Amino acid sequence: MARRWPSLRLWRAGSLAPLVLFYVLLTLLPVLNLAAMSVSDVSWAAGRSHWSFVGAEHLARVADDAVYRAGVRNTAWFAAVSVSIQMLLGFTLALLVSRTTRGSTLWRMVFLLPILMPGIVIGAIWKLMYDADFGVINQVLAWFGARARDWTGSPELAMASIIAVDVWHWTPFVFLLMLAGLQSLPPEVFEAARVDATPWWRELTRITLPLMLPTIVVTLVFRSIMAFKVFDEIYLLTSGGPGTATEVISFSIYRTFFVQGRAGYGAAVSLVTMMLIAMVVVLALNLQARLARRPA
Amino acid sequence: MTRPNRSQPQRRRWLLAGAALASGSPLRLWAQTAAQPLRIAVPQAPWYPSFERLTTVFERIHAAKVAFDVSPFTGLLEKTRNAVRSGQSPFDLICINSQFIPEFYAGGFLEPLAKIDPRFKLQPEVIAYDNTLRWDAVRKVFDAKGEVMAVPVNGNIQLLYYRADLYAAKGLKVPRTWDELAANARALHGPDVAGFGLRGNRGFFEASYDFYPLLASFGGDIFRNAAGGDCTVVINSPEALKALQFVQQLAKEAGPAGVGSLTQARLIQLLTGGKLAQAVLVAAAWPQMDDPQRSAVVGKVNVAPLPAGPSGKVVTTLGHWIAAVPKNLPSERKKAALGYLDWFQQKATQQQYRDTGAVPIRQDVLLADPGPDPKYRLLPAVAASSGNTRLMLPVPQAAEIADAMELQLNKVLVGEAQPAAALNQMARDIEALMARAGMKTGRLPDLR
Repeated sequence: MARRWPSLRLWRAGSLAPLVLFYVLLTLLPVLNLAAMSVSDVSWAAGRSHWSFVGAEHLARVADDAVYRAGVRNTAWFAAVSVSIQMLLGFTLALLVSRTTRGSTLWRMVFLLPILMPGIVIGAIWKLMYDADFGVINQVLAWFGARARDWTGSPELAMASIIAVDVWHWTPFVFLLMLAGLQSLPPEVFEAARVDATPWWRELTRITLPLMLPTIVVTLVFRSIMAFKVFDEIYLLTSGGPGTATEVISFSIYRTFFVQGRAGYGAAVSLVTMMLIAMVVVLALNLQARLARRPA
Repeated sequence: MTRPNRSQPQRRRWLLAGAALASGSPLRLWAQTAAQPLRIAVPQAPWYPSFERLTTVFERIHAAKVAFDVSPFTGLLEKTRNAVRSGQSPFDLICINSQFIPEFYAGGFLEPLAKIDPRFKLQPEVIAYDNTLRWDAVRKVFDAKGEVMAVPVNGNIQLLYYRADLYAAKGLKVPRTWDELAANARALHGPDVAGFGLRGNRGFFEASYDFYPLLASFGGDIFRNAAGGDCTVVINSPEALKALQFVQQLAKEAGPAGVGSLTQARLIQLLTGGKLAQAVLVAAAWPQMDDPQRSAVVGKVNVAPLPAGPSGKVVTTLGHWIAAVPKNLPSERKKAALGYLDWFQQKATQQQYRDTGAVPIRQDVLLADPGPDPKYRLLPAVAASSGNTRLMLPVPQAAEIADAMELQLNKVLVGEAQPAAALNQMARDIEALMARAGMKTGRLPDLR
């Protein structure tokens, strides 16, 4: 046994090596490169890039960047509101479909349709629907005598319009996970409740929700991370405007890197954003762990 | 690449024209280097179909192949940046929009055309476009005596588009000043048709691009003398304030709904949909006006040069495209690219280009009588404007500056900021970023 130990360690190390190599190449090196870029100014002259060390100058400037600060605020608000609505709607729809005996396959297909569409198609559909002059939403409002609204160009409505698109797009994702969760719950518990003539709301609050809690938390974490990375709806519908009403973190990074061509500052903004998202993930995982430790 | 079908006589005409062009061209570089297709990075722009169609003539007369890589505006910028920064460019020619020319010239990514072949000469009839074809690499500024870096491939500039039928019905005259335009806009404005449209969207050279002709013709500017190396920020001048207040007022009184999200595409949609009486649009939008598939106002839209400001100046912002040769190419590819550019600038080529519906890049072709076809009614306005063109931001930091301007202009138009405060903020932002770039800068005292 003692003689086999080094070879076992070698085998373990060898079998893990490809994974470690992939991790280093695909995750660690890009992050290290980003970190190096964030403390440098990258300029171009004579067709070559020139990196000059600027220390923490870029990182310090992130805190003073009013547009980025608006992006952080908007992203947090967007994530909180859209994910809350999606969780509520997705869970309710899943509950209804799980209890439907007729046409449940059809309902599932209908509810899942938006998630199958590419973001660019969704952007095009909603851009047409939101159009102030030719859009179907304002045309419907006109039938009822209501005045036309500028859904994406008004500072009061723009973020709500984006949230509506996100809810439409991602509620099916929540629905799918919730439905899977509901269908995996032990049927005997519900049969016992039915024998005891437990009212539906008591069954919901005392049996279904506690049993579904792990699924709910995992879905919440997934959706929150995805919501923090929102980009395509903003890019396609509002470009962060009007003013900074729909500015979000991903869009700020996109503009800094790809429109303004500021690699150094863009890297600094990216690093700060990665840290912010990591904090959200850690908080969510802690919450999940606490809930898991709670007695049933 | 799909090609449009053409009738036999038309094809014959094109081939004859092509043969004439081949014999008239001073450079015959292509025949020596035509082993591989010429690869051109082009934008998915309204003028691209004309460019593609014209290039078929080049392919026929030189028995050559041209491969187009077509991308949307922002996508092309990223592709061309990557191409010139890599070991070897995948494109022999890259199209660059006016706003990014300084970035590509100053970065040293492009080969001066005379260095590829000293026999190359830019023909004097090719429009200078505010000297954006020539670059002084030592002073890093555009200069009429600088090296020729590129050939323009599309003469896109701003024009005033107006509904001639509505003008006639109200007995209005084509405006010569912005005040006359505002008066016309008020007269035309109604519940079904808006009087005048300017881009107010915060995007990629949108609100700032449309504000610039007003700013400059009111006597203001962004920098004191950027072309001369003085980047003192003067955007918070009293003249700029008047220009912005004028735009704000006009948008309120006679603009379409949702000024904060007005993009160029939406302005075109409103005009062709019969919901807008006049707008500032680029020349490239023209083919859509008379296209019965896209327009409900075929034959009713006309164009004119932009009006003059109180200073008497007429300024139209450049939105032209140039084609240039990346430095990171083998010399035979550079020569092949230069052969194409030299063919492109010839008079006969440009006449063909005009006939396909594009805006030619030679003044003599713009001024020549093209015939009675109503599609040519755009050309006199372009010819009259070509001496008034100005590059909005002749510095490599153009994208960053425009981004700062877009935000503040959009805030003013949606009512989130006052004009003076927005201009002061723009001046602060632009000064800070120019200082970071190591440029000689400063700014005017804040407006009150």
